[in-house]
Amino acid sequence: MAAGALAFLILGLGLIAWLAARVRATNTRTAATRRFSSLPVHHAWFVALCTVLPPLVFLGVWAFTSPALVTDAVLATPAAVQLPPPGFDRASILSEARELAAGRSYGAFHELAHTLAPAYAAAQARFDWIATGLALLLAFGGGAAAFARVRPGFAARTHVERVVMVLLLAASLIAVLTTVGIVASLLWESARFFSIVSPLEFLFGTHWSPQVIDARDPGATLGAVPLFWGTFFIGAVIAMAVAIPFGLMSAVYLTQYATPRARRWMKPTLEVLAGVPTVVYGYFAALTVAPAVRDLGAALGISWASSESALAAGLVMGVMIIPFVSSMADDSMAAVPASMRDGSLAMGATSSETIRRVLIPAALPGVVGGVLLAVSRAIGETMIVVMAASGVATLTLNPFASTTTVTRQIVDLLTGEAEFDSPKTLAAFALGLTLFVITLLLNIFALTVVKRYREAYE
Amino acid sequence: MSKSLVPELPTTAAEPPARRPTDWTTGAMQKRIRRRYAAERRFRLLGMAAVVLSAAFLAFLLIVMLARGIGGFTETRVALPIDFAAARLPVTPAQLRGRGADLALAGAGLEGAVDAAATTAFGKDGADLLSDGAWLTVRDAVKRDPALLARRATVEVPVASAIDIAVKGHGTPGAEATVQRLQARGLLSRGLNWRFLGNADSTDPTRVGIWGAFKGSLLTMLVTLLLAFPIGVFAALYLEEYAPRNRWTDFLEVSINNLAAVPSIIFGLLGLSVFLGTWGLPRSAPIVGGLTLALMTMPVIVIAGRNAIKGVPPSVRDAALGIGASPVQVVFHHVLPLALPGILTGTIIGMARALGETAPLLMIGMRAFIAAPPSGLRDPATALPVQIFLWSDQVDRGFVEKTSAAIIVLLVFLLAMNGLAIYLRNRFETRW
Amino acid sequence: MTSNHPPKITASHVNVFYGAKQAINDVSIDIGNDEVTAFIGPSGCGKSTFLRTLNRMNDTVPSARVEGEIELDGENIYSPAMDVVQLRARVGMVFQKPNPFPKSIYENVAYGPRIHGLASSKADFDTVVERSLRRAGLWEEVKDRLSDSGTALSGGQQQRLCIARAIAVDPEVILMDEPCSALDPIATAKIEGLIHELKGRYAIVIVTHNMQQAARVSQRTAFFHLGTLVEYGATSDIFTNPREERTKDYITGRYG
Repeated sequence: MAAGALAFLILGLGLIAWLAARVRATNTRTAATRRFSSLPVHHAWFVALCTVLPPLVFLGVWAFTSPALVTDAVLATPAAVQLPPPGFDRASILSEARELAAGRSYGAFHELAHTLAPAYAAAQARFDWIATGLALLLAFGGGAAAFARVRPGFAARTHVERVVMVLLLAASLIAVLTTVGIVASLLWESARFFSIVSPLEFLFGTHWSPQVIDARDPGATLGAVPLFWGTFFIGAVIAMAVAIPFGLMSAVYLTQYATPRARRWMKPTLEVLAGVPTVVYGYFAALTVAPAVRDLGAALGISWASSESALAAGLVMGVMIIPFVSSMADDSMAAVPASMRDGSLAMGATSSETIRRVLIPAALPGVVGGVLLAVSRAIGETMIVVMAASGVATLTLNPFASTTTVTRQIVDLLTGEAEFDSPKTLAAFALGLTLFVITLLLNIFALTVVKRYREAYE
Repeated sequence: MSKSLVPELPTTAAEPPARRPTDWTTGAMQKRIRRRYAAERRFRLLGMAAVVLSAAFLAFLLIVMLARGIGGFTETRVALPIDFAAARLPVTPAQLRGRGADLALAGAGLEGAVDAAATTAFGKDGADLLSDGAWLTVRDAVKRDPALLARRATVEVPVASAIDIAVKGHGTPGAEATVQRLQARGLLSRGLNWRFLGNADSTDPTRVGIWGAFKGSLLTMLVTLLLAFPIGVFAALYLEEYAPRNRWTDFLEVSINNLAAVPSIIFGLLGLSVFLGTWGLPRSAPIVGGLTLALMTMPVIVIAGRNAIKGVPPSVRDAALGIGASPVQVVFHHVLPLALPGILTGTIIGMARALGETAPLLMIGMRAFIAAPPSGLRDPATALPVQIFLWSDQVDRGFVEKTSAAIIVLLVFLLAMNGLAIYLRNRFETRW
Repeated sequence: MTSNHPPKITASHVNVFYGAKQAINDVSIDIGNDEVTAFIGPSGCGKSTFLRTLNRMNDTVPSARVEGEIELDGENIYSPAMDVVQLRARVGMVFQKPNPFPKSIYENVAYGPRIHGLASSKADFDTVVERSLRRAGLWEEVKDRLSDSGTALSGGQQQRLCIARAIAVDPEVILMDEPCSALDPIATAKIEGLIHELKGRYAIVIVTHNMQQAARVSQRTAFFHLGTLVEYGATSDIFTNPREERTKDYITGRYG
């Protein structure tokens, strides 16, 4: 039976169970037990959940384990003797047979796939019937057992609410699962990379040109220091040189000087800057800013200024980051109690003196935290550098020259038809791991700074 | 007997010290005060300049995009005279009235006829003046009015990309000359390019459209929303209402907050290695894109949800608890309805961010040339921001305005979504 | 004891801790049925904290710990077998700041019976709502606008709505935590009249910082100071002839 139809059937059984339980609960409710016991609807949900959840959980587990079982069944057939030993070829033949059997393709590269396809279809069908049978058995079994417990005095509400809590907890755990998944997959692929290239060569080597990889010494051209420098130069130096002054002064103006009416449209305008997709920023940087920067360089006498300069990408990135700095500074300045500001003004200080000497120092941990978070965001930014910066790694201090970043290289390495096991592809994961670790450390550091040095105003 | 509770007060009074007030009238003091006020004015101006410049940059970006992109919504057409009767196409009007009309026309050799007509009208390079898709316009005209087959007619067909951009002012000198000639004969006209909104990707900028990418984006967003919203809201409810205060909960909170700050490309790597590699889902399908973006959007919804739930005052919870509601009833009957506007606002903002995301989708392979819109969640597809990225790489000058036009469409959508979020926030947010 | 019935609530040697800090110190007290008991004392003396132990509202504070025994009709309310949800319906609470739900007046009153399953048909709900609003003295003022929002009423009306809401689940005890401190004198007078009518049906415990109010409405009064129960007795005795020096200082206004 198709998965969708089966799920539908189980849900239908759940609905019937719900209705039946409610009727029974209403009928068995006596006047004496009316006060404060579980309502019929709680009993109904209890029976419905006992009917629906066990088969669904079973089917979920089955979906993960059954492909292996089906493959094992096919390997046991006589035709499978002709298969090559386990490896890439065998896997591709088996997957072609699987596609043929499922009707998702019509021709196959290997002859053997055609022979194995019927066996696959038969095995799949057999396992499908087993799954359907077991699922329905669980549904009926669960429903009947729950139905028998429906009587006054049974704390159905408590059980239902416990299931609800488990669902809520499960949802939260998915977040943890995601983090674990990210770390695990990055570590796994990076481990494979570091078995080919030594971590020291990767982290401290200064020559990066992945197009020419010497098979005998792959690490020689996979030194990532130019990437780290480029990322730092564009994201932490140039972008921040734009974002910090603009962001901080905007926040100061919005919180201290702007009238409520002005603030009401100025703040959303700044937020719109954060909402523009980065691909739009990238295109704008490549289309308008980069040529302008090159012309500026030419006007300043730098005739070889690149049209993929670090300055172009950094400037646009800085503008994109302004709202991050501005909103964190805004929040931390607003958190400083009015009484502190009033105290300074009451002594005859001007607004700017109050801001510079009282407010900003008081809000400094939050502002610094905001800057660190903004740096973390800039470092992880991809599309602007993909479209406006270059792919050639250099170690340069010149903003008019071109340089590349970690994120740009991740994209470039995974473009093209490289095999999944080559040093090029795996290097992308190693870069990803480095990026993840650095942004994680930056974020933790930012939050620690904010938490430790923030005055608790209460 | 305990001693009295009345507190003791001191009874002695201290002597006030002698004092001399500051003299505010001296010249030096006045000068200092004037300097301080000047510094105040400069500081204030600096702040305003920062805000104004930031807004100006935004305006500049939008204006540039608009200027370059508005042309993408229009096209140039040339009046092409075709003698259908003389062309003797193997199609009869009777065939065109049934359902086999398209099939009949496809085999009728219309392309050749159109090229021949162009050569007749414009000279030996006449066929180059027309767009590759010009014959489709003729086909639609014939479908609408089968009587055309019996006579001569003039059909307005789209021009080739080189001519189109020459009309819009960016062409080569040769193309400009051709345009002058055609305009002198009064053959050129401009109109709205509806195909841009209805077609999928193409190699010819005059035939290109965003519908394929847009549908891919819609399907991906659907998957993202269906996964991220319930998980995000439930996780927020758990963390705010039920989680005990212990180390595990702290770890959970830290995990979620960190996930919100992880660069989006990392999620792309996760999708590549787990969804495509380990689970073997189809490459560049909306379901994979949706899964990846859902993992990225979920922490945003959790954080917005937690803030909204925190905003519900404890008095509502106390009242519900006091009357004997269970913790689950308190949350689902009282807290969630009151927090819902904030949660929805956060969700819309999160979805808007996901709509504009490109890097993770590049990682999972949505960067191929997809010539037809996806029909299901497992078909290869692309997304609008990815389409913009792919077009930006194209060499043909005609793609510049198409890219900017696609950007305009994307920005309009994002503006609508953010506007909706702001409207919701203003309308439904209650101040306690 | 002025009444011959057994006490409704008996508290023995109750200690309450918030983390390491002790808020209630070895308090033992009997709350009588069909009468009003007042808890008085200066700010921060623990009267509200102790009130909240009587319906286990302190459970909502993670660092709170309650030792000792509190019995409602002989059952220990802190035993694991006691269902908190039922307890809070039997022992209702009215808070200092009126907190009607942001729903209609009808729904505010009907919510309790709905979740506890005390009414099933619309007619039953209508009856319960009307009866509760009448007993709370609010029916005449709102009977034509039951679908208006509860938060649109005046402060005094909101508080009476909260009392109606508590009454709707047929409690046995009503706890009131400074119910009039946010209200004007006219609304206060109405609430005090209401308390006088209600005491015939329910045991009422009222925390108040207004001694005159305690003298007006209660039959028994308990004076708390710094977490200890200093003196407990008939209201007339406490206010005219207190035994403890501390009580006398508080009553006469030398301290507070």
